[in-house]
Amino acid sequence: MGLRSIAALFLILLCGLSSGEAAADRLDLIRKRGTLIVGVKGDYPPFGMLDIDGGLVGFEPDLAWEIAKALDVQLQLVGVTSANRLQKLEEGSVDLIIATLGDTAQRRRIATIIEPNYYASGVNLLMPHGKPVSDWTDLRGQKICATQGALFNRPMAQRYLLDLQLFNGTRDAKLALRDGRCVGWLYDDTAIAGDLTRQEWAGYGMPLPSSMVSPWGMAIALDARGTAFERALSDIVAGWHRSGLLMEIERRWNLKPSAFLFDAHELWRRRTPGGKLLCARQPDGEWPAECRNKAILTSTDVGGLQRIGLLVKEQTGLNVTIAYDDYDRSHFLHGLLVTLELVALCLAGSLLVGVAGAVAIDARVPLLSRAVKGLATVARMTPPLLQIYVVFFGIGGVVVQTYGWTFDGMAVTALCLSLYAGAANIFAFLEAAAHLREGDAAFRLRPSSLRSSLPAAVRVAYGPLVATLVNVVKATGMASAIGVPELISASTAIVADQGNADVMMNVLMVTYFLIVLLVVRLFGMLERRMVRHGTA
Amino acid sequence: MEPLETARALVAWTPFLAGGFVWNIVISLTAMAIGTALGSVLAVMRTAARPVLVRASLALTAFTRNVPTFVVLFYLAFVIPVEFEIDNIVYPFPAWVKASIALAIAVVGFVSDNLSTAIRAWRGGNRGAALLFIPGWTSYFVIIVMASSTASVIGVGEIVSRCNTVIGATGRNGLMLWVYLYAMTWFFLFCFPLNLLMARARRRLQTRIASPVKATDVAAAKATDTD
Repeated sequence: MGLRSIAALFLILLCGLSSGEAAADRLDLIRKRGTLIVGVKGDYPPFGMLDIDGGLVGFEPDLAWEIAKALDVQLQLVGVTSANRLQKLEEGSVDLIIATLGDTAQRRRIATIIEPNYYASGVNLLMPHGKPVSDWTDLRGQKICATQGALFNRPMAQRYLLDLQLFNGTRDAKLALRDGRCVGWLYDDTAIAGDLTRQEWAGYGMPLPSSMVSPWGMAIALDARGTAFERALSDIVAGWHRSGLLMEIERRWNLKPSAFLFDAHELWRRRTPGGKLLCARQPDGEWPAECRNKAILTSTDVGGLQRIGLLVKEQTGLNVTIAYDDYDRSHFLHGLLVTLELVALCLAGSLLVGVAGAVAIDARVPLLSRAVKGLATVARMTPPLLQIYVVFFGIGGVVVQTYGWTFDGMAVTALCLSLYAGAANIFAFLEAAAHLREGDAAFRLRPSSLRSSLPAAVRVAYGPLVATLVNVVKATGMASAIGVPELISASTAIVADQGNADVMMNVLMVTYFLIVLLVVRLFGMLERRMVRHGTA
Repeated sequence: MEPLETARALVAWTPFLAGGFVWNIVISLTAMAIGTALGSVLAVMRTAARPVLVRASLALTAFTRNVPTFVVLFYLAFVIPVEFEIDNIVYPFPAWVKASIALAIAVVGFVSDNLSTAIRAWRGGNRGAALLFIPGWTSYFVIIVMASSTASVIGVGEIVSRCNTVIGATGRNGLMLWVYLYAMTWFFLFCFPLNLLMARARRRLQTRIASPVKATDVAAAKATDTD
């Protein structure tokens, strides 16, 4: 079938899939449901963490309880990460997120952030003591571990030319730092301060001055702006600042008293000479300018290609950042390159494993053949994703502790996928050899006669081999699970920054589809050549 | 960490992990059900007399073969909303259903390919060869069970994501290797015997068939794999 017809079919299916709508009045929905669903962090002590029973507790869950109490509904807490919190909000699986979200002009374009802000933090670097680093500019070009979706990744990378290694969650990023994959871990100073109180980070510190201090905001869906839900939440937070509840909860979790909360407490209780509250709603429903986030009030200037991109976005609703935004485009292209490298490695690796394994088994060396067959069976009968976890986190963790060597995520993925697909190839080769023995009883896959026996076996096993190789190409995306910066990682990172899930997911799908199609065509070409030169 | 301590921790968490594995089976069975239903339609279309139907079926089958399940998983998780409201009732669209749908796409391709072969064999009077579809289908179920572990990346509480929960809850990184290996054992103990049984069933069917099926045909029938 033609490439064009497949592409057309594909587009039709995509159009059918990509429409979704959020409920208009969330407060009604919540009351109807009787439950408020709040997304909080599970990996950010003491702001949001898991207790021994697996429940979510911390500074932010406490705020969620206060809100549920004020709205007189039940509370359901849902764990979210930096990478998926805005996504969960947009898709409507949570009503509200209180998840260490920094309040920026860009975030306000993809979510409704509740004013006033409820906390503030800056960005810093966790690193081992004894590094000769005193300023951010000393880190130019150095490998820095970072957590996907954090808002400061991009400006910090641009400003100080850091080589960011992005990981799926804080746990993975911290493990990478521990394993020496990078100089330091770029993250929020409040989170790092929490870690530094623990024994496991003795010998580490935060030697640089905090950068980019920014307030935190609770967030609700973008289309909930101006609703009763937003107003209710806004009033609740204002009440907290006035009563000092936030400072009380801060003390409850042993946090260092923050200047932000102290100042806000003063500001929201201040009265005008006439005796009225300074921070009271104006006739238009807004808070007065002096009570709002100053950084948001100043507009960001845009021009050139970005202005055109934003124009397209305003006209069509499609935010194709990889077309007009240099950072996103290079991020995506780099992901494409990594995926193509992975594809090449996995194809070569699984063929190599297939041939070597089949030769070892067909040689019928008493112990070796049996061992190889056993290994191939295990590799084929266990999930490749788990194999990757075992090698990368499990064995990799032990090896780094014992010898100080760190495993490369791309190499681990290529190895595991090569073993998984290679095992299937081994059995395909063996079956082909058995079939060829029906015609020539002496046929064997011997290293000495590989030049003549291998092409014959490949010809017989061609169908199954190609099917396996195409599947290993499709599986390369699994590398994203261990933070390899390939296509899926790049796409989800862009979604986390820009909130353009519809565009990026379609771009990702089409790109992957074309890669697979390319590989399928390549094998088709090879097959035709084999038939033409065929001697079998 | 002490071996005894590790073993004790694994035993303590076994019911939790087993509950996760039940989810893997549920997701896989749902994927097989959806995929088999749709794939059967394509298979029947492929054996139809009208060329238009055959061409359409071949195109759709090629499409399902070339779409990576892992990417579809992310696609569905990001693009499809989590709940729908129809007539004031909120219907959830849980992540595990999305995982099943993503996996079902691979099943559609497999069923379309193999069932159409079986239908032709049946019509040709070769009942035994047609029955080879059954062990093939079951072996494919095994592959889907293994692939269901990828549902963990979109937050389905199956066994792999429960492994991560266990590691997070115990806070002991030394446990990591053992928890993952333990989960791997679960998959192996489920998949290997079932696969062995199906290989045996296939061999028995083949010996029963009067005109033996060529090894290449059998190999081709097994070829459609998934990621």
